[in-house]
Amino acid sequence: MSIIKTVDVKKWFGDFQALKGISMEVSEGEVLVICGPSGSGKSTFIRCINRLEQHQEGEIVVDGIELTNDLKNIEAIRSEVGMVFQSFNLFPHLTVMQNITLAPIWVRKKSRSESEEKAMELLERVGIPEQAQKFPGQLSGGQQQRVAIARALAMEPKIMLFDEPTSALDPEMIKEVLDAMKELAESGMTMIVVTHEMGFAKEVADRVMLFDDGLMVEENTPKEFFDNPKNERTKLFLSQIL
Amino acid sequence: MIRDNKFFIENPYGRWVRDNLFSSSSSAFLTFFAGFMVIYSYRGIVGFILNPERMWTSVTYNMKLYMILAYPDEAMIRVWLSVGLALLLGGLSIGFYNSGKTISLGGIFQKLFTISAVIALLIALAPTNTNVIQNDGSIEVVEIIPQDVRMLILGPSLVLTLAFFFLKNIKIKSLFNTAKVNLTYCGLIIASLYFIKIPTISLDSSGERIIPDPFLPIASTTYIPWTILYVGMLIFFFIGSLLKNRDIKIMARLIPIGWFLCPLFIFSWIFKKPLVELNTVFSADIPSILVFGIIGFLIIRFSDNQSLGAYRTPINIGFLVLSVVVFLLPVVFIFKATMVLLLLLLVVSPAIATTKEGKRQLFIVWVVSLFVLTFLIRGASSDTMLVTPTGSIFGGFSLTWLLAIFGTYASFPLGLALALGRTSTLPVIRIICTGIIEIVRSVPYITWLFFASVMLTVFLPSGVEFNLIIRVLILTAFFSGAYFAEYIRGGLQSIPKGQYEAANAIGMNPFQRIFLVIVPQALRAIIPTLVGSVITSFKDSSLVAIIGLFDILRIGTSVIPAQSQPVAFIGRNLEQLVFLSFFFWVFTFVFSRRSMKFEKRLGLGER
Repeated sequence: MSIIKTVDVKKWFGDFQALKGISMEVSEGEVLVICGPSGSGKSTFIRCINRLEQHQEGEIVVDGIELTNDLKNIEAIRSEVGMVFQSFNLFPHLTVMQNITLAPIWVRKKSRSESEEKAMELLERVGIPEQAQKFPGQLSGGQQQRVAIARALAMEPKIMLFDEPTSALDPEMIKEVLDAMKELAESGMTMIVVTHEMGFAKEVADRVMLFDDGLMVEENTPKEFFDNPKNERTKLFLSQIL
Repeated sequence: MIRDNKFFIENPYGRWVRDNLFSSSSSAFLTFFAGFMVIYSYRGIVGFILNPERMWTSVTYNMKLYMILAYPDEAMIRVWLSVGLALLLGGLSIGFYNSGKTISLGGIFQKLFTISAVIALLIALAPTNTNVIQNDGSIEVVEIIPQDVRMLILGPSLVLTLAFFFLKNIKIKSLFNTAKVNLTYCGLIIASLYFIKIPTISLDSSGERIIPDPFLPIASTTYIPWTILYVGMLIFFFIGSLLKNRDIKIMARLIPIGWFLCPLFIFSWIFKKPLVELNTVFSADIPSILVFGIIGFLIIRFSDNQSLGAYRTPINIGFLVLSVVVFLLPVVFIFKATMVLLLLLLVVSPAIATTKEGKRQLFIVWVVSLFVLTFLIRGASSDTMLVTPTGSIFGGFSLTWLLAIFGTYASFPLGLALALGRTSTLPVIRIICTGIIEIVRSVPYITWLFFASVMLTVFLPSGVEFNLIIRVLILTAFFSGAYFAEYIRGGLQSIPKGQYEAANAIGMNPFQRIFLVIVPQALRAIIPTLVGSVITSFKDSSLVAIIGLFDILRIGTSVIPAQSQPVAFIGRNLEQLVFLSFFFWVFTFVFSRRSMKFEKRLGLGER
């Protein structure tokens, strides 16, 4: 049963065509890693899935709901789909605890005490329960990104999107974020991860895709993808990155 | 040389002097130059103030005129109630918010050391003589501070400075509550009202003959009310700390609401004595509360109704049109004002009234605010029963205060609305808001004041008439609102796109996104600018003098220098100007210091 289904998705920024027809499916509990050179449309594509970017042609169906201009559908999908950004995008005027409980309280209409209990659980899960009362600016990059993961999880999403979650981090902090993501994948979450971390792709992914110039050029299991790539473009990409 | 002198290297104070005052030859020159300028101008100012030519009694005698102009004597209790309300609320909030903070004994001595050192320095530097120009044009040198007086003040203050200097390093564990220490300072100030004497003028019971002893305590006529208010403030302070200790959380919400309503309440009910007829209460107020209560109930009840979803936009536009129509119709003012509140409810309710509990709370808030709004507007829009010779019960500082507070009160929400409207994606709203902002900003404030005084009545529908002060308030609100809007827009633009995306990604609706994520950050970014513009509008309130209102500056520059009865103060301009600059400086200084503390507290998240 596929939880995300896209058919021939196309997207233009002015005259520039960023997506040239992407069709794919993701089934429940699957971990999909998307890689590719910069400007290949991989970030644009996952941002289309929760409508941070609007696609112009094709269709995207998430959890049985089609993404159209209907605001109600968009809000419904966004509360089912968590997203983690490259630049964290935590709310700097709120404490870590408030960052995590904001959406449950206002969007899900849960009580404050219930949300805070859940938030502490999530902070323990990502390994930073002692930071709950600090402001984002007082945390390291790796800690901030883990707070961002906890914030997305607080909405109890069915799908998590990661848009280059480790690209803005110092090398020694990458591992702590990847560990949190690994733990999440093992718990059975459906995940789409845009990343250059090939180690993570090899170890955790169920499937790996390569985007180039707005098209999906290869889709394979990680083993096949790294050991036995079919496409010339994939071979070139892997030779440059590994 | 300082650079090599042992004292300036080993001693911490010496090192401070070397590093900060004489770090290079050019900075040494600047130090000497600035020091010379400071001392020279200080001596000039002291010489001016203590010059026997000055008639400071023109200030002290007219203090009541400055504060409340011609407010009727028999209603003075209303003035004291107004001041008292603010002070009691102040005591309550100090008790509630500050009861946790402490200061050590050393910290107290540190402050006292600074104060006594400054006093010693000031008295040591004060000039002995000053020049007095005689009537025939010759200049006579007059002694203004005799040597023995100088020694009498300098001696004790030097001793105290030295004592506090050693005491400030005292290592005593005990800590004092900051709020209590501050209240003790206040108590000392109140006590000083009894024994610090200043030159003034007192008249005998017939009000004609001047009683010869010109030195009276500062607050010779008002120390009894001040003492009562201080005691009341202390009582409310202890009530506040008691509520804090009992952990009564609702107070944390009630106190800010109290502060918000306090000036409105003073303006509409205490300071003026509104002439309210039961007839209008039954024919206008109660029907308005009933009608809007029912409409509000329906809005809250059906705000999350699925089948109405498609009609939401037409309903909203319908209400917008309806409110414009209501504004143009000759209905009672309460209906028009409540209509604005109703539009707000329409915007807010889809975000809040989504659960049964949320609906219930929103309905309670709605009914309470209906009552409060009706009560305040009824008070504000009624005629006053107090008779004053100037025709307006607000004058002097009470007018300045009114314009400053209401300028800020009304312009802030207006500015926020205009800024959000200007950045809106809906073209009609954007064009209207941009138009208002640009038109208001491109015309000088003085022109708007003339507009308020002579032209506004022409534009309003016939039958609608406002008091001049209300008209000025409305235009001030628009004028500073337009400036606020541009500052806030600047703040909105400084918020990175990622914040919008993050708010979207966690499923927030546009209303939640703006008011929970974007606006708080935007406001935080522009607090210094906002404080600056509030101070500006406080000072600009003097401009209302040109359209015939008696603000504090006009009293000082044209009323007092023209007084001939019972005491002649003719031509006493300089004293008034010195007093008024000091007066404005104290208020703006205190305000900007408070806002700096506020900024620091809010800035925590930025680090």
